[in-house]
Parts: sequence; structure tokens; C-alpha cells
Amino acid sequence: MLNAVIILPILGSLLLFLGLGGRRLAAILAGISLSISLFLFTRFDLQATGFQWEQRWDWLPQIGLSYSLGLDGLSLLMVALNGLLTLIAILAAEPEVKRPNLFYGCILLMSGSVNGAFAAQNLLLFFLFYELVLIPSYLLISIWGSPKRDYAAIKFLIYTSVSAVSLLAAFLAIYWLGDPHSFELAEIRISSLSPATQTLVLLAVIVAFGVKMPLVPLHTWLPDAYGESSPPVAILLGGILSKLGTYGIFRFGLQLFPQAWADLDELLAWWGAIAVLLGALAAIAQKDIKRMVAYSSIGHMGYILLGMAAATPISLTGAIVQMISHGLILALLFDLVGLVERKVGTRDLNVLNGLLNPLRGLPTVSALLILGSMASAGIPGLLGFVAEFLIFQGSYSDFPLPTLLSICGTGLTAVYFVILLNRTCFGRLDNRTAYYPRVQGWERIPAFVLTALILWFGIQPMNLVKWPQPLAFTLSAQVAQAQTHTLASYSP
Amino acid sequence: MTTTLVAPKLPPSTHPFAEIVHRLEAGGSMLPDTPENLMQIIGIYKAYAVPMDFYWRDLLYIAEQVFVDPLPIFKYIIPEEYLKLANHYAGENADLRIWRGPATAHPELLEFMEKGELKRKLPRILHHLWHDRINMEFAEECMRAMLWHRDMGGLLDPYMDSEEYKQNADRAIRAYCQGNPLLMGLYKLFPDMFLELCRQATMYSVLGLFWEVMAPVFFEMSDLYDEGKITSVPEAMNFLVNAIFSIAGRPIYHRVRIRGEWYDIVPKSKGFTWLYEAAFPYVEAVFYRTSPFRGTKSYNAQANQVPVNQLDFHYGILYADKFPVASAGIPPTLLHQDMYHFLPPYLVEYYRKHCRGEDDMLIQLGISFQRSMYNVTSAVIQAGRAAFLYPLDDPNPRHLMMNRRYFEGQLNRFTRPEYGIREAARLSYIQDQNYR
Repeated sequence: MLNAVIILPILGSLLLFLGLGGRRLAAILAGISLSISLFLFTRFDLQATGFQWEQRWDWLPQIGLSYSLGLDGLSLLMVALNGLLTLIAILAAEPEVKRPNLFYGCILLMSGSVNGAFAAQNLLLFFLFYELVLIPSYLLISIWGSPKRDYAAIKFLIYTSVSAVSLLAAFLAIYWLGDPHSFELAEIRISSLSPATQTLVLLAVIVAFGVKMPLVPLHTWLPDAYGESSPPVAILLGGILSKLGTYGIFRFGLQLFPQAWADLDELLAWWGAIAVLLGALAAIAQKDIKRMVAYSSIGHMGYILLGMAAATPISLTGAIVQMISHGLILALLFDLVGLVERKVGTRDLNVLNGLLNPLRGLPTVSALLILGSMASAGIPGLLGFVAEFLIFQGSYSDFPLPTLLSICGTGLTAVYFVILLNRTCFGRLDNRTAYYPRVQGWERIPAFVLTALILWFGIQPMNLVKWPQPLAFTLSAQVAQAQTHTLASYSP
Repeated sequence: MTTTLVAPKLPPSTHPFAEIVHRLEAGGSMLPDTPENLMQIIGIYKAYAVPMDFYWRDLLYIAEQVFVDPLPIFKYIIPEEYLKLANHYAGENADLRIWRGPATAHPELLEFMEKGELKRKLPRILHHLWHDRINMEFAEECMRAMLWHRDMGGLLDPYMDSEEYKQNADRAIRAYCQGNPLLMGLYKLFPDMFLELCRQATMYSVLGLFWEVMAPVFFEMSDLYDEGKITSVPEAMNFLVNAIFSIAGRPIYHRVRIRGEWYDIVPKSKGFTWLYEAAFPYVEAVFYRTSPFRGTKSYNAQANQVPVNQLDFHYGILYADKFPVASAGIPPTLLHQDMYHFLPPYLVEYYRKHCRGEDDMLIQLGISFQRSMYNVTSAVIQAGRAAFLYPLDDPNPRHLMMNRRYFEGQLNRFTRPEYGIREAARLSYIQDQNYR
């Protein structure tokens, strides 16, 4: 069952690369993959700690590579998010997209690889899937993007290569310096590494995944990649690929290095708060709505880092919920921004105006844009609020100042979204230019699905919160234990 | 009165709208002469004429019978006698027949009055509450614009401040309040309020009498177009010019019927005429000025887009935004809704082919209305030129230059950069056929 969510999309991509199928096949395979991941929820044991559906097949034992898979509450949620956003991206794509088989094939390959990375229990296997994602991502940006897509794709490639080098160095250090020498997550004993080595390796992991998230100041590839790629690709980059980064820090940073994490937590909390503020301030300065949404993503990654730094059960739960929340809200916003660009022909805030006009504007798109912005700004009743509230509540006791600064960041989020909505949706349409084609019914489906989920989880957050809670408690206990250990070692 | 084309005897105009000045000098309209424009404006004239046939009847009913009623709840539900009221310009017994159709209400209007948009015969009050009716709100806004922008020329306006008018009004108001102590008490307490209500009723009558003429004129134009007898925009404009001059001297008056007896407020004997007391003030108030309240034109008061001088107001239909926000002027939406019910099939088909088809027909219709009103304004400008200045084929270049100054002066109203009008005026927009 777990293999299916990895192999099915990859096989599907191969079929598409061979010229078989098309958009419909891609949608069907993505739908099946999503259905399987949803089915896994019904079989998931909430009481169990650790991974479920574990399996292992020694692939290249000489180099420590094994096909080891398993899911816990975090990775199950990520797999489901990936399945959903892959389907959404396929549905949100223009029907007349050029070279459709290559396009949808890349999307499926990316989806299968990301699922593999989320489920991997072997560091080398994770690294393989992590790198495999790079190929379709690069192609998706460089072939189907805006005019400056080549620049954006090359920049993305360089940054992610740096990320890969840093990650490989960290994993090799764990393998070589650890005892036993193993890439298996279950077999790694980090305590065999000296505290200084642990800190250095953790920093390498943070840098590697910090590029992927991305974290300030490793973020400069993001506005170009998100801004220049087509809307479905932006959905995948922002909704899924960035989650590989946060997931990696969770799994290979916090979970593997609780001791070093406890040593660096204050630095990470401040880093998160600064990311929140810088992301929001940069978003305020944008004139391009897609880049504005892209910069908002940087700020929201800061919340996740803050929640992870505090490492309390509530903040960790909040951080994981924020990963889902960010994935859904960003996907919604990119989908809507893409529709605006497709219909109006511009993303320029100085040109857009009055799209709420019921007769000649894009009223439904505008209404959903308002709702998506409210969700991103953390308005109660929507999913964004649940995530941010949990993070702030869980982090305040440990890091009051960074938390307060991050709360100010939510205010700034509201500022740039008010600017976006005021310029885009309100005001008056230009009498001479407002001949936009109407949004077709099928074009609204992705946005309606995402909106429904944002509303549903906003009203019924326990349906989401219950899945990562066991992991959050376990990780929090590990970090607390490490802190106690550290305090004990300092005591006379 | 029909204009003819002449060879230019003057150097080219340097006005920002020089092309339009030259077109007016050649006997044309501000609206470019294209078959598409002609089809749009004639179709809209017809669609406008049907509700207008109701407007003038109800306006006269309100002026003559509702009068100064402080709670005129049922003023839009006109009695049968007003629906059957004979138009003075149509039917066998017309004073001056300008439409070959019947004197009673137009058949499409009668059908709509009976079953409405629902196409079901229900008690009239239900149609009214469901807004399935002719929307008199638009007509009233036009009337209010005329009342509010007083002092627009003519003799009626000063007359409404004269002692004679006040005495006539007082006599009628006393008769109206007779036997109603509450109303009489109110009149004693607030005589000025009742006098102002009476002036408003006079303006109801003026507008009713104006539209009583225009409705058959528009019907006639539609018929002639259908028969292939109007084939260009200038012909349509000239038909209007000729109609204006043939009707120009018709009387404007206001009388009230109270308990079966007629009271003259503005007697016919005063000699107020249709062109100067109704047509010119109407165009000025409704097409150009109106007011910075709800309606058709977006403006920014903080950016000084509301003129200090009432004469400079520019919120009329000629400036209207098709997407008004925080807007001003005559509210067009209800008129669009009214016209929507009576569009000729060829116009419906035309709208279906453009923009969003059925979904934004009201906006497309609004733009056609704006085009058609530019043509009406052109007719009024040409009529003013014919009345006060010189023929277009006058051999004297000095006279032609005076004509040009007149045309340029008229067009200057669309070139007021201090209020952002150069951008806001739709004159340049309607030159483009793709402006919809």
C-alpha cells in the first residue's frame, strides 16, 4: 500500500514520458495516489508511537542503501498533502499547456519522489528521492514558466545543489562518525557523536533544508522560482517542495539531534522570528502579486522554525499543522493568482483593480482570494489561525520575545494582504481594458476544494491536530530530556 | 433644418477633439457613423422608449394627483386612466402626430404591466414588491437633478420663485389639504416645505411633458430604421434635430386635479415652451451635471474631483463609468434593467456575441445607452447651433468660425483636466467601436 503512493506516480510519469496517456491519466493516477494516502489514515494507529507500515529491502548493502519505508503522523500528513496538491496542480493547469505529457509526467515524477522522501527510513534512500525531485522541478520551472524562467531555474538548481552537498556531508558524517555505521534511521545512535560534532552536523542539516524551505538568508531563489514558474508548478514548489525542507529539519534535525537542538534552540527561535518579519516586510514592498505571495511563504516558514525551536508539545503540533496550513493556503493563493494572471494578463498591483466587479470582474476568484488572504493572515475560524495560535501558545513560555515579534509579523501579514486585496479586488475596473474572459466552472474546482479544507480544519481543527500529536509529544520529551541532561552536566 | 456637407473653408481646428469638431461642422454627430453604432443606438432608443412611455405617464400622475402628498407610498402604481392617457403626439386625435402608433401605452409596455418579467398575472402590488416593474426611481432621479440644478436658463425657473407661482401653489395646496386637519396643520407649520414639494411636482410635470414627446420620437426612429429609412448616424441625429424643432414650441405647464377640479400652478398661458424649459435643462442636468451622489461616475472627493461650483458638475450619463464605485450621478442600473426587458432581438443577438454575452448584457447595454445619448446630445448641440448661430453651409467664414467656437465650447466640457475629465469623459472612448 505504501509502495503504491511512490511507485504509481513514478510509473505513470514513465508512461507519460513515453507519450502514453495525458492529462486524464495524470489526474487519475494522482487521484488514486491521494485515495490510497487517505485510506492509510483509516488504518493508522493513533496510540502507537514510532513508524507504521515499516518495510525494508536491502538494496545495496555494501554502501548501506536499503529501501526502508515507514510512516508516522508527520509523514502520513505530508504524503496526503502531496497527493492532494499534485491533483490540484494537475487540475489547475491550463488544458492547452504545451508538451502536456512531459509536463504531467514531471509532476507525477515529482510527486512520487516526494512521497518516497517522506516515507524513507534510510538516509541514503531519502537523499536519492530528495535529489530525484530536483530533475522534474528544474524542468517544470525552466520549460513552463514566465519569460525569466531560465534564470529562475538555474538559480534554483544552484541553491538546491548547495543544499544537496550540505545534506550529503551531514549524512556521511553521521555514517562515518557514528557507531554503528548505518544510514538506517532506526539504527543511528547520535549519542556516539561528540556534542561539537552533533552541533556541526545539525547546522549542516539546517542549512541543507533551510535552503529548501527556504529560511532567510537562504531564500533568494524563492521569489524568482515561485514568481517565474507557472501556477501549478508554484503550487507544487510552495505547497510540497518547501515541506521537504521543514520535514527534513523535523526528521533529521530535531528528531536525530535533540541534544544539539536544545543547545541551538534560542538561536533558531530568533532566526524564525527574523524570517517572519523580513518575509512580511519584503512582501509589503512587492508590486507583483505572485511575488508577494511568494514572500509571504518565507514569513510563514519562520513560524514553523519558531515552533520547532520551542519544542513543546503544543508548539511542535502547531509547527506541523502550520506545514499543512501553509501548503493548503499557499496552493489556494497561487491557484487564484494564476487565474487572475490568466484572465487579466498581468500580476502588476499598479494595473490590477476592481476584480470583485460582479459583471466584468472575477468575483468568485476575488472572494476566494479574500478568504485565502484572511486564512494566511491568521483570522480565527480558518486553518491559518489554528496553526499560528498553537505555535504562539506553545512558544511563548520558552521564547517570549521572538514569539511576540512573530505575532507582530502576523499583523504585517495582514498589512500586505490588505494592500493586495485593496489594489486587486476593490476599486474600479478600467473602462477601456476590462474585457476579461469569465472563469469557467472547472477552473474554480481546485480553489473550492482547498477553500473547503481550510474552512473545515479551521472549524474542526482536531481532525488535523490529532495526527501529529503523538510525534510532537515524543519529540518534545526527547528535547526536554536532552535539556535536563545538559543542565545536569553543568551543575556542580 | 437638415444639415448638408460642405467643403472646409476654415483651417483645421486645434482643439483636443478636433476630429469631432470637424465632424460636427460637416453635419455629423459626436458618435462615429458606423452601421454598428447606428444599430446600437436605434435599438436602445426603442428599448428606452417603452419604459419612457411609462415614465411620462407616471410623472404626470404624480405631478397632477399625488402632488404634495407627504407619504406618496403608491405613486408608482398608476391608475388605469393614466395608462390609457392619450399621447399628444401619437394616435388619430394627436395635436401633432409624430408617431404612427397608437396614442395609448405601447403594446409591449401594456403586456409587461400585466404580467411583468415573471410572465404571470399576479396582483400588481406583488409585482411591485418583487421589483418586477418599470423602475420609476431612475425617472425621479432625473427629475431631482433638474430640480437641484436650477438656474440653467429658461423662464420657468425664475417663475417658480415668483409671487404668482407662490399664490397658485398656495391655492392648490390649500385645496389639497382641505378637510384634512393634520395636513393643514403641517402646511401652517411648514409652508416652505410644501412650496418646495409643489416645485418638485412642477418638475415632475416638466419631465413628464418632455418624455411625452421623446417616447414617440424614439418609437418612430425605431420603425424607420426597421424599414430601412434611417441608414446612418447623422440621419438619426438629424431626425432628432428636426423633431426637436417641430416640437420646440409645445407648451410646458403644471396643473393639479383635486377632487375633480383642475388648479393651474404653471398655466399654459405663461407661454413656457418645450425646448427652452424642458429639453435644454434636461440635457444639461441629466446628461452633463447631475450630482456627486450615488450613480454612474466614480470620483475621489479627497482629490478635489468634486467641483466647488455646481455649474462644473460632471456626473451625467456622458461621463458615466460602466463600473461605478463610490459613484455619482443618475443611477443607471434600474434604467438598464428597464431597457433590458424591451431590447429588440437584433440587439440581444449582438450583445450575446460580445464580451460575456448574457452575463454582462446590462453593461453592454449601458455603453450603447451612452453612445445613444452622445447622439442625442449632438442633436441638441446642432439644434442650439441652428437656433442661435449660422447654417453649416454659410458662405461667410466669420460665421463658420463662430459656429466652430460654439462647437469647441461645447466639447470643452469634455476637456476639463482640473477634474480629471480629460481621462474621465467617455467621448474619446465611444470613438472606439470596441468600447463595449
